[in-house]
Amino acid sequence: MLSHQSQLICHECDALLRMPAVRPGQKVLCPRCGAALYKCRRDPVNRGLALSLTALILYVPANFMPIMTLDMLGLQNADTLYKGTMQLYQQGYWWMALLVFICSMLAPLLEFILISGICLLVKWQRYNEWLVAMLKIQGHINRWGMLEVFMLGILVAYIKMLDMGDIQLGIGLLCFTGMLLATTLNAVLFDTHAIWEQVGQARERHRIRAL
Amino acid sequence: MPSGNKWGRPVNAIVSARSKNLVLCSDCHLVVSVAAVAPDQPHYCPRCGSRLYARRPNSITRTWALVVTAWICMLPANLYPVMTVIYLGEGEPDTIISGVVKLTQEGMIPIAILVFVASIVVPMLKLIGLMFLLLMVQRRWQLNKRQCTVLYRVIEVIGAWSMLDLFMISILVTLVDLGAVATIEAGTGATAFATVVVLTMFAAMSFDPRLIWDLQEHNDD
Ligand SMILES: [Zn+2]
Ligand SMILES: [Zn+2]
Repeated sequence: MLSHQSQLICHECDALLRMPAVRPGQKVLCPRCGAALYKCRRDPVNRGLALSLTALILYVPANFMPIMTLDMLGLQNADTLYKGTMQLYQQGYWWMALLVFICSMLAPLLEFILISGICLLVKWQRYNEWLVAMLKIQGHINRWGMLEVFMLGILVAYIKMLDMGDIQLGIGLLCFTGMLLATTLNAVLFDTHAIWEQVGQARERHRIRAL
Repeated sequence: MPSGNKWGRPVNAIVSARSKNLVLCSDCHLVVSVAAVAPDQPHYCPRCGSRLYARRPNSITRTWALVVTAWICMLPANLYPVMTVIYLGEGEPDTIISGVVKLTQEGMIPIAILVFVASIVVPMLKLIGLMFLLLMVQRRWQLNKRQCTVLYRVIEVIGAWSMLDLFMISILVTLVDLGAVATIEAGTGATAFATVVVLTMFAAMSFDPRLIWDLQEHNDD
């Protein structure tokens, strides 16, 4: 046997710990360094699916509908997330455009798709290579989604533009806020630990059957 | 929540997984025993297939390289303009600092503080903090390890907030695109600043906080 399910290792201080009994809703913290090791959530799959599908639906209007509109001396112009990336690209700042694109559009989109996919596969009990690959990618890209920082950017830009012209908030901002709320809730509620455990158990069953 | 009773043993009796030949898979968090594998052979996780490392490979060298490169990029990021506001055909470029100064003059103190913290204080603190942790590990400074781990955690979490200025520029550049009346253009400094943010994020990712706790074990020997 290669795996020791009764033990737990802290990823931040390498402490070897015995797996404590956890009830749903509880969080396990490392006794030595205080790192959050494990979240035990009630019904993570259904909640994760509901939240990431909500975010996916809001994604299109949040990216393509105006966040805000500026009216100056009779001229009007609207800002959308998508146009923000394109404008930087057209001005020749492709590296900045790429970064803004990844952090505000691509990483969040991939995250929503991956979490929906992971939850669906778990619901259908397909513990296959796809699920493993999706779980791995999700673990790597989640730090690059920065919707909360973008929200603050919108706020700062809005306040800065207040005395430059007539500025109006758009429907895109509403959808963006909804999307941000769904992502934030997902970050708190979704935990892949239990899913990995199920993948391991399914593999074990498969191995025993093959013998 | 953590207490001696719940975990069954006092905190100072905790041993490292490495001393028991156990490795944590960085992708799926499985506890794997590597006692049966020769130390020079690569190990792979039996559950997800990822390569297993007891510590992030070349953590110290890689983090130093990224930190030094980030410091170098800080210069153009702060010397070159990040944004130019052209109003009725006239405008002058703004660096990060002059942008903050202008905001203060216009009376937008909270926004000025916010931009100053996100664009100058956060990247600087990240780099100084990482250099401190690197020196601590290399020079074996005996400091409070829990506090150093908290410092690392803070460095990891605040990293993304440096993107504030870039997001703001992307919004302003799009919003204020009114031909002859007013336009806002991005500047070279913003490209350098974007590089600084990415480099500091990679630097934080390549540092392994477990190195802080390894000092303890060497001391016990
Ligand atoms: Zn720990
Ligand atoms: Zn693994």
